Amino acid sequence: MSDINKPDKDGEPMTNAKVSRRRLLAGGAALGGLVAGSTAARAAGTPDPLITEIQDWNRYLGDGVDSRPYGTPSEFESHVVRRDVAWLTADSKSSVNFTPLHELDGIITPNGLCFERHHGGIAEINPADHRLMIHGLVDKPLVFTMEDLKRFPRENRVYFLECAANSGMEWRGAQLNGCQYTHGMVHNVMYTGVQLKHLLNEAGLKPNAKWLLPEGADASAMTRSVPLEKALDDCLVAFKMNGEALRPEQGYPVRLVVPGWEGNMWVKWLRRIEVGDEPWHHREETSKYTDLLANGTARRFTWEMDVKSVITNPSPQAPITHGRGQTVITGLAWSGAGKISRVDVTIDGGRNWHAARVDGPSLSKSLHRFYFDFDWDGSELLIQSRAMDEHGNVQPTKEMLRSVRGENSIYHNNGIQTWHVRGDGSAENVEIS
Amino acid sequence: MSRFLKLAVFAGALAALPAATLGTAQAQDADAGEKVFRKCKACHAVGEGAGNKVGPHLNDLFGRTAGMIRDFKYSNAMKAAGEGGLVWDDESIATYLINPKDMVKGTKMAFAGLKKDEDRADVIAYLKTFSAGGGEEAPATQESKAEEPEAKTEMAAAAPAVMAKDVAVPEHGVFHLGREALNEEIAAWDIDIRPDGTGLPVGRGTVAQGEPIYADNCAVCHGDFGEGTGRWPVLAGGHDTLTEERPEKTIGSYWPYLSTVYDYVRRAMPFGNARSLSDDDVYALTAYLLYLNDVVTDEDFELSNENFTDIHLPNEENFFMDDRASEPHYAEKSEPCMKDCKAEPAKITMRARVLDVTPEGEDGEGAGAIE
Repeated sequence: MSDINKPDKDGEPMTNAKVSRRRLLAGGAALGGLVAGSTAARAAGTPDPLITEIQDWNRYLGDGVDSRPYGTPSEFESHVVRRDVAWLTADSKSSVNFTPLHELDGIITPNGLCFERHHGGIAEINPADHRLMIHGLVDKPLVFTMEDLKRFPRENRVYFLECAANSGMEWRGAQLNGCQYTHGMVHNVMYTGVQLKHLLNEAGLKPNAKWLLPEGADASAMTRSVPLEKALDDCLVAFKMNGEALRPEQGYPVRLVVPGWEGNMWVKWLRRIEVGDEPWHHREETSKYTDLLANGTARRFTWEMDVKSVITNPSPQAPITHGRGQTVITGLAWSGAGKISRVDVTIDGGRNWHAARVDGPSLSKSLHRFYFDFDWDGSELLIQSRAMDEHGNVQPTKEMLRSVRGENSIYHNNGIQTWHVRGDGSAENVEIS
Repeated sequence: MSRFLKLAVFAGALAALPAATLGTAQAQDADAGEKVFRKCKACHAVGEGAGNKVGPHLNDLFGRTAGMIRDFKYSNAMKAAGEGGLVWDDESIATYLINPKDMVKGTKMAFAGLKKDEDRADVIAYLKTFSAGGGEEAPATQESKAEEPEAKTEMAAAAPAVMAKDVAVPEHGVFHLGREALNEEIAAWDIDIRPDGTGLPVGRGTVAQGEPIYADNCAVCHGDFGEGTGRWPVLAGGHDTLTEERPEKTIGSYWPYLSTVYDYVRRAMPFGNARSLSDDDVYALTAYLLYLNDVVTDEDFELSNENFTDIHLPNEENFFMDDRASEPHYAEKSEPCMKDCKAEPAKITMRARVLDVTPEGEDGEGAGAIE
């Protein structure tokens, strides 16, 4: 089973039971949009007991310091978790789960919510037992300990990491109801690490060095071929994410950062870098992560992630619950080529577009947060976002992509996403004419 | 005798426990059982430090309620069986092993079963040596394990302090960090193979030799003929399907290079027991996969480091470098339309709910797969 987009194989109509389960899962507030949106109505006449009565948390003492030595989110946020799509893979050890984009704001993804993709489960490595070897076409093959790595000059950089298969289930049409599932194989983190070129220079590159083979220490011993120019340009060997140690599921104690390029190349649990003169054509760059076209040929080495955006709110897991009036549409935009220069939003299915407001840092190869604030009249909406990057690349429609590539590429689906917002505020993943 | 048993006997002797119990009647059966267990090893681990793989670990299996290992994702059927009172003992394991799906309908265990009474008895005897109730070794081993961290702490404390000024600084590089990698260390990790044959170890194996290795280690997930069970990868077939609506991308139909097969099997397979096959085993398996894909047809065909690069896979020529930038929607770089971009109001042409495969906490089985 090599592809991830066979929508009509087991398709079945939605039943009422399924509707209610889904709405519950979507986070409680989703019970039919407006029904749950009644909190503001109380002030019309009856005083709000939450104001007029003294609440427990206002009277009794709470937990003291140290009751949560490593802080965790409020119990009222317990629904904000990564989720998987169990039917996608044969086994959880080689699988993927998804970032809950619809629950987040700003541009940084919290460490515990960064989507996971493993090919042999999570390697649990004591940093004292970890070694990084550089060998091959170098003057002197070297072994570094974690302590060695932390003595090189450090840098802090914010980059998105997107799986090349993000949105891969949508090639044949709208399939999954929620941006967590359609777009959640992306996260955005500030990494602390050292430039890969420092490590390579330490070993001394031979004149015929052209390619690198980074390898992970996990049970899949993940490998990818990386061209040397990229390594010397902006790759990092990172040991911190958002200020703290990498999480085990993100490659603790050290991972490769390959800015703007597909996530599979960001080898986790990095233990070895071989320097060579030719690419290796390993499993993850031949059998996988190659893009099959309609004529039966396939693109290889499609490293860069395309210009892309998605509206995260409202979306199927995050309906509008407040009724008509002042409404915020927000979402994320990114490009593997650099900065986002503009994001446009439409609420009428692409007849008319409006420039959205990008707020927060605008960094190269990082997620950008956009907002479109408008006065909703309560009518049905077909909402989309369209990103442009600093090189003039414009996010294409899904139809444009299909007309060039067919429907079996799996990877690099950056087509414009449409949500249909109904009069009750609920939203659905649709495609439009 | 497994490494775990040796350790256990050693630890047991130290603790002055009656280690002799290990050497009695069950030992012979257990040795035979260790061989039978090879069929199970692709999915189950047992012994010191064993963790869950595709299947749960089998330490302390005897007396364990079915479906009870907390961090293992059982089928609903197995959890229900445990809740219904199924406890693993000689009798229940023997029944289960005849045909797992007969006894626990809906179990995830894809294994067809052990049909021979003797095989079942032997593997049960073998597994029993890893259960606390089956021998004296388990408690002793736990004790020896528990002592380890303390010993390490003592050693660290005993290490003499080195003054910073006395530390030797290497001369290489710019920052003088790291130390030279030894040839033995490079050899231990440098296992990658390239299409031109660079990296291939000296060795050989035939199709016929590969067949039983495949049956023992691979067939449980990939199917007897490489057809794949469940959502595990299909390895063979799929010829001429790449332009069809449902392409089947296999070694024979899609992979460009045979070196990828050798490299990947050697580094990552069997799933959950990587690096356990010898170089000759991997040659034999690679030869068998060529046979399953009709690239070779002779069962006596022998693949070796000498003839490896003579073999070419059918789809090698059909890959080309990334040319996305030449696609019209990128090449044009035109200013996108902002006003009155469509003559007609947009109409919905497809809805997610028609397919409805969004996860819902239950068995909403959808379409497609990733590996």
